Amino acid sequence: MIATASGTRVATAREPRHVPGQPDMWFFVLFESLVFTSYFCVYLFNRARHETAFLQGQSHLILWLGVVDTIVLLTSSWAVACGVQHARAGRYQAARRDAILTAACGLVFLALKIVEWARLIHMGKTFTSSQFFQYYFFLTGIHCVHLLIGFIVLGVLVVQLSGEHRRSQVVVETCATYWHTVDFFWVLIFALLYVVR
Amino acid sequence: MTRRSWRSDPKRELWLAWYATVAFYSLYTVVFFVITRIQPPGKPWYSPVQVTEWFAGRHDGLLVGFALIFVLGGLSATALALITYSIRRMSVSRAFAYSYLILYAIAAVPGFLFICVAMTVGAMRPDRNPAVLRWLYDFGFLSFSGTMGVFLVGSLIWMTAILLDDNRVFPKWFGYLNLCNALTEVVVAPSWIFHGGVLAWNGTIAWWINVVVFGLYTGVFIFLLRQMILREDFGTGPLPDLGLGGPAGQVLAEAAS
Repeated sequence: MIATASGTRVATAREPRHVPGQPDMWFFVLFESLVFTSYFCVYLFNRARHETAFLQGQSHLILWLGVVDTIVLLTSSWAVACGVQHARAGRYQAARRDAILTAACGLVFLALKIVEWARLIHMGKTFTSSQFFQYYFFLTGIHCVHLLIGFIVLGVLVVQLSGEHRRSQVVVETCATYWHTVDFFWVLIFALLYVVR
Repeated sequence: MTRRSWRSDPKRELWLAWYATVAFYSLYTVVFFVITRIQPPGKPWYSPVQVTEWFAGRHDGLLVGFALIFVLGGLSATALALITYSIRRMSVSRAFAYSYLILYAIAAVPGFLFICVAMTVGAMRPDRNPAVLRWLYDFGFLSFSGTMGVFLVGSLIWMTAILLDDNRVFPKWFGYLNLCNALTEVVVAPSWIFHGGVLAWNGTIAWWINVVVFGLYTGVFIFLLRQMILREDFGTGPLPDLGLGGPAGQVLAEAAS
């Protein structure tokens, strides 16, 4: 519908609206979000029961390092979104470059996480040392598993963009949706583990 | 369906396998949750004396329940065969089907049979040394929960086959559900480390959330296998949709009449 000068509304032909990529991937996003929500509920429930111990554990985390992690992953999400825009416009070289930039940001994130884990383990804060670090290593670990799968997904994206006969905009958008999901989970994990005090 | 049409139904073996699959999962649920009551799992921190009491409280159920499993547990092969058939019906390499078949056949030993044997041995002689009973208890639960990683690879194989398939045997969202299931099986791995808490073998994350996801996953794949049989046209191309004519549509119409 569009509004005319006289205030009346005129029906216009409109393209049907679709979600980006395969709708099936959005099923994954929804289902996996529910699974992560259940993990977060368990974390928050236990945090409320042992608030002091959790606050003590949190004090060993470096907030700015978590902020850098988040900025790096948000940058990767921005890059993959640019890649989708470029692919839609038929600029496949630029889209491929964006996909590689996304993977590079993902690798930086992974390297930062390994450095952070090594630092904590060196301090004696391990998977079994306290309840807080049990959750910390579990949530960051399961997120990293999603990130590693994300590298395979980005590999599919690069292959799709590289071959003229393979290019499918639906697959490109599906891959980007997966990567955004990895980013989305990290933002929630960052908020819960680093920011909520 | 009349007796004559059942005999001439080319899908009768597939239906037999499907009903056997439903029977197996029903039996599995009843035996593990009701008769033997080994699920939800016992506490990992139990002392040898508490483990002895745990076995004593379930003595008859363990013996009867696992006797049923040892007689009828082989029905699990039909579920595996039907899933393998579904992968063979896809446009992907047969290597997916064979990998899945071999992997699940092997994984059933640590992930399903070990706990049955260990718990039956524990229940058989209540006067046994409590330390030995605790060893059997730990062995049973750890082999059941801690070996989920083997099944994880199977889910990933099925997922990859579904996502690559052009014959539309299963919807793509089920491929992604396989990934969700595989990811929850990763979460069980810490049960080798923790004696208590959310990541122990009876923990909220390692067991309760996992079992909900696995229950949904199992229900969905049993339903989708049924849909696959209804749509099967014994060809090599894409499976026809239900209600759109073709051999599958005819079979449905015949079944309805």
